[in-house]
Amino acid sequence: MKCLFTTLIFIVLGNIAMSQSIFPYKYQVETLPNGLKVIMIPMESPGLVAYYSVVRTGSRDEVEPGKSGFAHFFEHMMFRGTKKYPGPVYDSLITNIGANANAYTTDDYTAYHLNFAKEDLERVIELESDRFQNLYYEKPDFQTEAGAVYGEYRKSITNPFSVLNEKVQDLAYDVHTYKHTTIGFEADIKAMPEQYEYSKSFFARFYRPENVVLVITGDIDTKKTMKLVTKYYSDWKKGYVKPEIVPEPPQKAERTAEISYNGKTLPIIDIAYKGDAFDPASKDYAAANLLGDLAFGETSDLYKKLVINEQKVQFISANVPVNRDAPLFEIYSMVKKLEDLNSIRDDVYKTLEEFKTKPIDEKRLSDLKKRYKYGFLMGLDTPDHVAGGLARYVAVTGGIEDVDRLYKQIDAVTPLEIMKAAQKYFTPERRTVVVLKGAQS
Amino acid sequence: MKTLSFALICFLVIALPHTMVGEETVTSNKPVLLPVKNDPTISFRIWFKVGSQNDPAGKEGLASVTAAMLSDASTEKNSYSEILEKLYPLATSYNASASTEMTVFYGRTHKDNAQQFYSLFMDAILVPAFKQEDLDRIKSQLINYIENTLRYASDEELGKAVLYNELFRETPYGHLLAGTSDGIKSITIDDVRSFYKQYYTKENLVIGLGGGYSPELLATLKKDLAKLPAGAPKPVPVAKAKNLDGLDFTIVEKDAASTAISMGFPIKALRGTKDWYALAIANSWLGEHRNSSSHLYQVIREARGLNYGDYSYIENYPNAGQRQLPPQNVSRRQQIFEIWIRPVPNETRLFALRAALREFKNLTEHGMTKNDFELTRSFLNKYVLHYAPTTMERLAYALDDRFYGLTASHLETFRKMMKTLTLSDVNASIKKHWQYGKMEIAVVTKDANGFRDALLKNAPSPIKYSTPKPESVLNEDKEIVSFPIKVKEANIRIAPVGELFVK
Repeated sequence: MKCLFTTLIFIVLGNIAMSQSIFPYKYQVETLPNGLKVIMIPMESPGLVAYYSVVRTGSRDEVEPGKSGFAHFFEHMMFRGTKKYPGPVYDSLITNIGANANAYTTDDYTAYHLNFAKEDLERVIELESDRFQNLYYEKPDFQTEAGAVYGEYRKSITNPFSVLNEKVQDLAYDVHTYKHTTIGFEADIKAMPEQYEYSKSFFARFYRPENVVLVITGDIDTKKTMKLVTKYYSDWKKGYVKPEIVPEPPQKAERTAEISYNGKTLPIIDIAYKGDAFDPASKDYAAANLLGDLAFGETSDLYKKLVINEQKVQFISANVPVNRDAPLFEIYSMVKKLEDLNSIRDDVYKTLEEFKTKPIDEKRLSDLKKRYKYGFLMGLDTPDHVAGGLARYVAVTGGIEDVDRLYKQIDAVTPLEIMKAAQKYFTPERRTVVVLKGAQS
Repeated sequence: MKTLSFALICFLVIALPHTMVGEETVTSNKPVLLPVKNDPTISFRIWFKVGSQNDPAGKEGLASVTAAMLSDASTEKNSYSEILEKLYPLATSYNASASTEMTVFYGRTHKDNAQQFYSLFMDAILVPAFKQEDLDRIKSQLINYIENTLRYASDEELGKAVLYNELFRETPYGHLLAGTSDGIKSITIDDVRSFYKQYYTKENLVIGLGGGYSPELLATLKKDLAKLPAGAPKPVPVAKAKNLDGLDFTIVEKDAASTAISMGFPIKALRGTKDWYALAIANSWLGEHRNSSSHLYQVIREARGLNYGDYSYIENYPNAGQRQLPPQNVSRRQQIFEIWIRPVPNETRLFALRAALREFKNLTEHGMTKNDFELTRSFLNKYVLHYAPTTMERLAYALDDRFYGLTASHLETFRKMMKTLTLSDVNASIKKHWQYGKMEIAVVTKDANGFRDALLKNAPSPIKYSTPKPESVLNEDKEIVSFPIKVKEANIRIAPVGELFVK
């Protein structure tokens, strides 16, 4: 194991311009008869393995009223063990192998991840397959964990951005579950201790092989790995129940709100537009991705004006996310003086109008495409970075093939298509604007 | 099997396992090199021996501002906007990591782009423009961080900052890396110029270079950095922490629903010494960062559900809420032992504090058990493998090795020590370096007066759970609720949040 300290993992980036594929590694995909998909990506990373169990369930799947935040809460419960390996035993076995283990929940998925030495692969597969099939906890443990989740909420809510996001999502959506944040509404979190029975049904419906993808990267032998996965996961029974997620109807008019943050902060404005779900076949989606950077990234005219020259804002940035359903394409800015707030907002609108009418300079566009490629590849330097970087795509699409499709689509975007995307998405009818001000400012 | 049609090749290259052989010490300026044949990328880390400990009195924040005036500002050749434009297609950037004693400029580039990256990176270090508009922007960001973000948006970071400031009050360690709001407001372009001239000298830097660089690049780098002025700044004496005479409280009054607690005391052990690795085992058992194996986590979060996590440290660990593994290049010659209790409901604040103190007291009095020792060293032996998987991280560790004057890699020593240390070594180190009675405790909470009164009365802190708890937990609670806290009135200070970090 000593050689691990001298291990270096890297990829050849020099060929990307000629490459047919953005993704630099060979990979193998297998599916067990029960529907469990396994993506194996061997990398030269002697001794180290990253193991991600991606559950394609997140706060998006919390369709019942009063159950917001449950996917995240359930992530906590997954560490409470099974009858064979109760929580403390699971913990001590993971501790014993020195794994770096954790989990996180998002709007569209929940990921359980471990990094460990390759000789511990079978132990990890055994433990992970056990808890995904046989999770067991008593009611008092369940209720105690609810306290930890509430603690996480309390820790986060002192941040003004958490307060702002909560409001933007609530205001922008009427019926879709993106209405609530991943951590959930405070009232629902407080009521979690009463949801013991519901939690069992949550596990039974969502923690099923057809709804989970394993991503295993690093120093692995795919044949041996698959043999182990087959041995430990084959008895897992199908049973995924797809939630009935109500689609959000098209928004017809702009929505606005102003909220107060119980603390001191510079004002923050969030200008959010209803976008489209991830779709690598869509030129509009790919163009919107580029547009966010071109219009508001650090080399954009508006960034130079507001951040560098006039210095009216602390920052401005845009976000075009990868989601299963239509998310918000957002532009955020923290403004230094309250009296500038409206002019900053108008600057954002003006910039978007310009993008609707004037084609972007070809060189800027090609610089950005180059940046995307190099940035993506330079990030794929460890097993954990590879598996972690792919997790959202895996969750949203069920595989990693669409990463290539997306980058090919991005590569083909023209200035005119960027104009078209600006015209399509950034309209007043799709818009929700929330301003947050500090109560003590 | 599905295989992508075009796959790029990965190489494994065995880099030098012992980069620090020889007579290197903290004063050596010999380059730290991690060549990796065939690596298509190059990692740079240029360490200047300067940090917030060098901030002049009344100009707290100058080290931070100066670093940002190099990394996030114009040079004589390019405006800041032009730099951003030029870095953009390279998909890279260079940054500064400033800490108490170290400032490191770092960046990673693909070899294809090395020349363009290198000239921008060198310009930043060699010919910064020091423009007023850049200074205004950077100062505004730091002031916003201190006056708004730190005071109001993250109580747990606030508690940790108060702990460090209190322990090192009136010493070069006794202010935030970001400075004070008055200090930053007073900083002028001339201050920055003069600080740069004093500390950014060719005798005050160490080159760190890794990856697929050529010997020519190293030679050019040496030659270019030799253009910096001569001069070795006077070393700053090691900061002497507050002389604690018991439990010492700083209560930050803040209108908050939760209470954040950080506590600790200075320790003498530094990495490289046997004691440090022994304490690393004890500390990992007591409070391994963001890990459910942490005993404090088990007691406060897992069994009782009072908060999101509870951890302990034997080295500075900034931005703990944002990271899973230890940071690099934040080395200090004086470290503290620290316990971090993430926010608990206000009504359980005294109980949570008692629970943590009681666990720590038990450990200092009884030491570790054989089982816990064996499990923890086995854990650490492999866990440290995750600390530095990339060349950039390994380079950073190698610079830290140089800081501490280590001739062998800290990470390799760590694993060796996990195999050779004994339980009695660990328990002896606990006795030698840890004590329970003298501790600085920072508490961010509402109704500070009420909390002070409860502390002074040593009043019991009964706890009511909204959900059932096992008998074993309830029995242990009986001891926790009345666990004695002895504190003198003179050792409790109350500070309104709005008055923190001003001067």
